[in-house]
Amino acid sequence: MIRDQHEFAKKLTAYLDNGAAQLKAGTVYRLSQARGKALAALGQPAWTSEGRAAQVHAYAGAGRGTASPGGGLRKGAWLWLGVVLMAAAGFGYQQWQVYQQTREIEELDVQILSSDLPIDAYLDRGFQTWLTRFQP
Amino acid sequence: MSGFLAEVERRAFKQAMFATRDEDAALDIVQDAMLKLAEKYADKPANELPMLFQRILQNTIHDHFRRQKVRNTWTTLLSAFGKGDEKDDDFDPLETLQAKSDSNAMADPARQFEQAQIVGMIEQALTRLPARQREAFLLRYWEELDVAEAAAAMGCSEGSVKTHCSRAVHALAVMLEAKGLKL
Repeated sequence: MIRDQHEFAKKLTAYLDNGAAQLKAGTVYRLSQARGKALAALGQPAWTSEGRAAQVHAYAGAGRGTASPGGGLRKGAWLWLGVVLMAAAGFGYQQWQVYQQTREIEELDVQILSSDLPIDAYLDRGFQTWLTRFQP
Repeated sequence: MSGFLAEVERRAFKQAMFATRDEDAALDIVQDAMLKLAEKYADKPANELPMLFQRILQNTIHDHFRRQKVRNTWTTLLSAFGKGDEKDDDFDPLETLQAKSDSNAMADPARQFEQAQIVGMIEQALTRLPARQREAFLLRYWEELDVAEAAAAMGCSEGSVKTHCSRAVHALAVMLEAKGLKL
């Protein structure tokens, strides 16, 4: 189908180059910021305090374009807060369900005990049949 | 190093975009890859930088997907939380501006529009390719790495690179032809 694979690919990449050259100004700016951060960290070993600081600063996120070094930490805090809230909500829901079930059982017990009908009647198959047949 | 990064950053961003389809994630990936290259391989000879950078970039993209897989459940559950303060981040006045450098502002608008449409079609077709085929195609033809370098960057055999490239080119040709685009 394609006579020259390489030539076809080259035509495509020429268009891709065109697309890369037409990036939005905001994206180009963020890319240059990211490059600046990488160059600032140039040659700094990751384990030194300076390197770490540069890394923390850089990891503040090119994506969001946030310049504050605490951006990543703040996001982490929000995430953990969310996790804790979700866990609390899950636990609360489970407790509420247990409480509801207990209440339903209690109500049923009260109804059975306060009824004039003896409990054995409910276990009698003949009575159940009579109930379904002669219900008003 | 500065010149090298300036030369590759746009293509690296596009590569990350094709993979993630998320601009913020793509920018983070490129920044991560640049940082790793600067921190660990600054002393390497200039001719080794393209292959090293591509290897780091591909690994960073894979890491992104691994992390995303783990976080996915939580992100869905927590989507209701923390939305309030992100509203300001959505609008960026810089997005309204056009890039002045490397642009073809003087070109015929109709031709510019046509070009943009073709680029859009090709980029869309690329995002629909299987990840390994897309990687191989971009490394081999866009980044102009040779087969051995592409194989090293992708962590696979040279034969696999050739197969992925061939399949990618054929798949792209079929997809573009289906859209009425003949190059």
